[in-house]
Amino acid sequence: MKARAKTLLAMSASAMALNAAFPVLAFAAEEGEKTGIAFLLPDMLEFIPMLIAFIVLWVVLAKFGWPMFAGMLEKRENTIREALQKSEEAQIESERVLGEYRKQLADAKAEAQSIIADARSTAEAIKADMTSKAQAEAADMIEKAKVAIRVEKEQAISDLQGSVADISVAVAGRLIGEDLTEEQHRKIIERYVVEAGSLNG
Amino acid sequence: MASSRLIAKEAAEVYAGVLTDAALSSGGQEAVIKVRSQLDDVVGVMYVDMDLEAALSDSQLSPEQRRSLAQAVFAGCDPAFSEVLAFMAEHGDFSLLPRVKPAMDDAIEEKLNLVVADVTTAVPLDDHLRQVITNKVETDLGKNVVLNERVDKSILGGIILSVRGWRMDASMVSQLNYARGVLGETPDGGES
Repeated sequence: MKARAKTLLAMSASAMALNAAFPVLAFAAEEGEKTGIAFLLPDMLEFIPMLIAFIVLWVVLAKFGWPMFAGMLEKRENTIREALQKSEEAQIESERVLGEYRKQLADAKAEAQSIIADARSTAEAIKADMTSKAQAEAADMIEKAKVAIRVEKEQAISDLQGSVADISVAVAGRLIGEDLTEEQHRKIIERYVVEAGSLNG
Repeated sequence: MASSRLIAKEAAEVYAGVLTDAALSSGGQEAVIKVRSQLDDVVGVMYVDMDLEAALSDSQLSPEQRRSLAQAVFAGCDPAFSEVLAFMAEHGDFSLLPRVKPAMDDAIEEKLNLVVADVTTAVPLDDHLRQVITNKVETDLGKNVVLNERVDKSILGGIILSVRGWRMDASMVSQLNYARGVLGETPDGGES
């Protein structure tokens, strides 16, 4: 590649040198007066060498420059095409990724909403359950307290009745033991015996 | 179990028969009533003092030791009764004593045509009251009656009459206990 560039450079230099070699002819031609159509027609003495130089330059360029240029263009085209293709692929990929991200974001949002809704319903259920339990416990405590109060009251009444009964019986017993004479005792015994039912009954 | 109970009953009847015959031969009807009264007292003591029965029925003591123990404990009782108790302790039958009492009542009724009525009062009976009670029991049972009197001031007043398993508790203490129960159990103090 480097050698071909050098050759192309050498060829170009030769052509330029050929062009530079004939300026005398051009200036010489300017010395004669031309009129009419001749004014428009090229001077053969200039034209031929220029044609030869052109042809040489064209051949050289066609032979060496154009393929290199074409190769560079093709390479450049390929590069651009690949770049465009990669860009398109990247765009497609980015759109796909973006779509995935959007989908994931939407899923995440939906999941978050679902979690929030679940948490809310769970919290409501827990709150309702706790409220229900608290109410039940309170009712149970109240009922137990009522029962305890009733039992205590009944026990107190029973104790009081027992005490009153014991005292009454003790007083009655003492009165009977101290106040009744033996004769009164015997009358009571006789009354009991007479009023008793039959021993065979 | 039924057969062992039957055997115990028969053994108690034998002891009651021997006790009745021994008392009758030694002192007649009065001795029989006295022995019966002592038997009643001993049975009462047995219910109160479980150690007495346990000692007189202790199988770790020899029969001679149980006999000696019984003779020492019941030395103040009627000799015939004391001898029967010693015999029962010697043969490991002292626990049958509570069964001997009703068996002895049956034996007395059979051999003497008598019914013994246990009468407990807070004051001693006079003749009039004895006659009233005797007439009542004889009229109801159609048999001769002998009263086994006991004075117990703890009953406060009234009478406890027990004849052939029939018992009338008209004591003051029982009525007061009943009144105490009524007063204690009913919320309105027994007024309803």
